[in-house]
Amino acid sequence: MNSRPFFVLTCCLCVIALAMSFYVWQVRRQAVEESPPTPTPEVVATPSNAIRKQVTLWVAHDDIGALKAESLSIVTSSERQRQAEDILRALLSVYTAKGSPHSLPSGAGIKNVFFADPGLVVIDVNSEIVGGQTSGVLAEELTVASLVQTLASNLPGFSRVKFLVDGKEGNTLAGHVDLSNVYDVAQYLDFVKQVSAP
Amino acid sequence: MRWSSGAARVCILGLICCSILSRGQQAASGSVSGESTPAATTSAPAQRPFVILIDPAHGGSDTGALITPTAAEKDINLNVARRLKQELNARGIQAQLLRDADVTISADQRAASANSVDPALYIALHASSLGPGIRVFTAMLPSAGDSKGPFVAWEIAQSTALDHSKAIQAQLISAIQQTRFPVRGLIAPLRPLNNVRVPALAIEISPTTGDAAQVAATGYQQMVCAAIANALSSVARANTAVRP
Repeated sequence: MNSRPFFVLTCCLCVIALAMSFYVWQVRRQAVEESPPTPTPEVVATPSNAIRKQVTLWVAHDDIGALKAESLSIVTSSERQRQAEDILRALLSVYTAKGSPHSLPSGAGIKNVFFADPGLVVIDVNSEIVGGQTSGVLAEELTVASLVQTLASNLPGFSRVKFLVDGKEGNTLAGHVDLSNVYDVAQYLDFVKQVSAP
Repeated sequence: MRWSSGAARVCILGLICCSILSRGQQAASGSVSGESTPAATTSAPAQRPFVILIDPAHGGSDTGALITPTAAEKDINLNVARRLKQELNARGIQAQLLRDADVTISADQRAASANSVDPALYIALHASSLGPGIRVFTAMLPSAGDSKGPFVAWEIAQSTALDHSKAIQAQLISAIQQTRFPVRGLIAPLRPLNNVRVPALAIEISPTTGDAAQVAATGYQQMVCAAIANALSSVARANTAVRP
């Protein structure tokens, strides 16, 4: 086989490939130069919807096995969902503080609160609450009831409550109180009446 | 051959009639196998024995709370359950344990066992370091669950017996209060109470001194069991159900 035509053909293909690469590079460079400059993202000011709100926290007291109402002023959003999260976070900050009457670990927190129709509120707590909660029927019920009662007394308008742990359905809080079912808020309020301290 | 077959039939019929007649006479005289039986048992419904099913909560891989560094709730519950059974038996009340060993049983299995035994009262036993005294819980029923006709949803199986449970709870608390032992009546979202279709309570035992070790102490457990058994014996007297 004569290799000369093959060699010439290969050379031609290489030259064409190089020429095409150069052309594409030129076109790309031209496109970049002609494109308008990317606008610098502006810092959008947070709308001034922060409000100061007087809230009632229903705080659990282990020593007497009861809930006590305490008044507190917090800065929160005017939006209902954000308010719910801020109010419950304020309650948990009482529990995670040193010398708390119902101690929870420092990482205990509220992830989200969702108001779902019809009349259902979903409270998503993090797993630190579960891990650091004192195990026991009354101890766990005080935690759950204080969250429900605090929310119901400050943002009424829901009739059923469901708890999630890290966005997932849990069986119990710390081995006792059932989290797998949806409960009527009225039932929790009955419990609160049983354990309310003046 | 035909005569002998007919005679045999007559004999058998005669024996059956004699047997029925003799049983009727025994019932009328109020005596079966030498035991004294009220004559009313043949004509009126039988007295249903007040059987209490005691369920020591947790067990196996589910340890429950750690009451002290060396005492898990599951073991305390089992000890208290055994003592309570003895105390009840000593007072003439039938009691059974749902678990008499360190085994894992799910809430659904516990409810299924309780519903199968069909006791007059189901009691789940718990222990806690959070005082003081004894807490008696009835079920807080979830809002989920639709009952279809005669079928009651599993989540709210307790609904048909809840009024009876609350009545027994009130009687029990009243009886314990007479001993001046600290006691409270509450509701709780606690499984398997809501899945049990007979009167059901949960009893949580906690220290009176603020020292969690008290709950693990034999003397304290004995005192608590005696107080509960005394109260349950008065409840049993008031609630002896009549079998339909």
